[in-house]
Amino acid sequence: MKICASRLILPVSIVAFSLLSAQSSLANSPTIRLFPTTVVEDLRQTGNVARDMETGLQEVIGRLDQQQGLYHESKCDGADNDPGCQRLARQIGATYLEMLTVMEERLPDMEHTVNNTRNSLEKGLRNELGKKMTPWKLQETLIGGKANETKATNAPTLRGRSGMRLSERFNQYYKLVATSGAKGDQSLAVLASDIYLDMEETSLLIQRTRQEIARATLMEQLNQSFGIITPEMIEVVGGVKSILFGDEEGQALVAGPPPGSIEQAYRSPLEQ
Amino acid sequence: MNSRVIGKPLLAIIAMLSISSFLAACASTTPTCGSPQSRNLSSAIDGVQTALLNGCQAHFDRYYDELLDVAEGDPKAENKREFSEFLVWSSDKGLLSTRQAEDYYNRYFNVKFMSMRGEYNNCSHTCPNKKKVLLDMERELGDKERGLLKVNRDADAYYRADQLFQEVELVLEATCSACAAGR
Repeated sequence: MKICASRLILPVSIVAFSLLSAQSSLANSPTIRLFPTTVVEDLRQTGNVARDMETGLQEVIGRLDQQQGLYHESKCDGADNDPGCQRLARQIGATYLEMLTVMEERLPDMEHTVNNTRNSLEKGLRNELGKKMTPWKLQETLIGGKANETKATNAPTLRGRSGMRLSERFNQYYKLVATSGAKGDQSLAVLASDIYLDMEETSLLIQRTRQEIARATLMEQLNQSFGIITPEMIEVVGGVKSILFGDEEGQALVAGPPPGSIEQAYRSPLEQ
Repeated sequence: MNSRVIGKPLLAIIAMLSISSFLAACASTTPTCGSPQSRNLSSAIDGVQTALLNGCQAHFDRYYDELLDVAEGDPKAENKREFSEFLVWSSDKGLLSTRQAEDYYNRYFNVKFMSMRGEYNNCSHTCPNKKKVLLDMERELGDKERGLLKVNRDADAYYRADQLFQEVELVLEATCSACAAGR
């Protein structure tokens, strides 16, 4: 029953979003086209792939944490010759290999969807902001024709993306883009730039991680015969945890509005 | 005959004396182009206008800076109007071109950046000079801090300019990267 309900929510919300965005795009036309429907769909898909990867890794990483805890409690640090500790180290190494395998399986999908999103955004940014606009027009777009109305606009930017689950990050992007019809072009330009730069960074990171996985797998297969926990292994697990699940204490920093909102009545004839 | 011989040098001496006294008179009317004495902006502007009309046009930059100093001593929203009127007057008197007057005003009292002006598209014009554009904008933000915040006491406008600078920085980074990628 619960599954049925959750299956229904997604199509209903997509239809609702389509209706809303169609309505708002009519109201706000002409707008710059930075988020065609393909980008919205790519973002949603990237979020889903990230969630699948998290689900697959959560259990393995949980097991790794337990095994590492047991290793420390058994005072195995420095007791490399102890047969019990060696057995524990091998178990940790095997789980580590399992983690690398899950990542190896999931990363190509992730890379594909991230690259699709990046490429769509790249085209939009190049055409809409790069080729169709002068610097002055870009500035006017960002300020939204409200240079005198100094009231702060709601900044949609996601500054400081760490401290957030990967799937949550894409989910936030999706929500922001999906509801962007209600916002002005100025928010869209900043949002598109922010997501594009993040996608580019993520794409590079995935590329490097995939290269590293092959090397780390080989290293760990060798280590298995000796039953050693390398510092590199602990570091990699820590890194994967922070990328996928975020830092627990971290919070997404969203740029705050400047204090006050006094409008200046005077407008100089010299003002541009 | 004798009087004729004496008369010529005498005439020459008289002529030289009159020329030198004329030159001395000229020198005494050379404008001093001193700084405005009043700490009241309107009075200071009056003083500057008089000086500018009396041959101190070359000191316009310094005067504008000194007027900003005076206004900083009594920051208020009306200061912006005083500067605008002063610049319109300067343009009307032919001391500044309209473009120069706009630059002087907008650099200090507008949220938008004059450093981000150009007739060509961003891919071809702004991106190749991105570093310089951003550096110029940063400098201009300093002038806006003076004009909007310290002279006009309009913190909101200044924060908006600061936010705009950050947004331009982010958007240019992404746009220029997209222009360069050409995938």
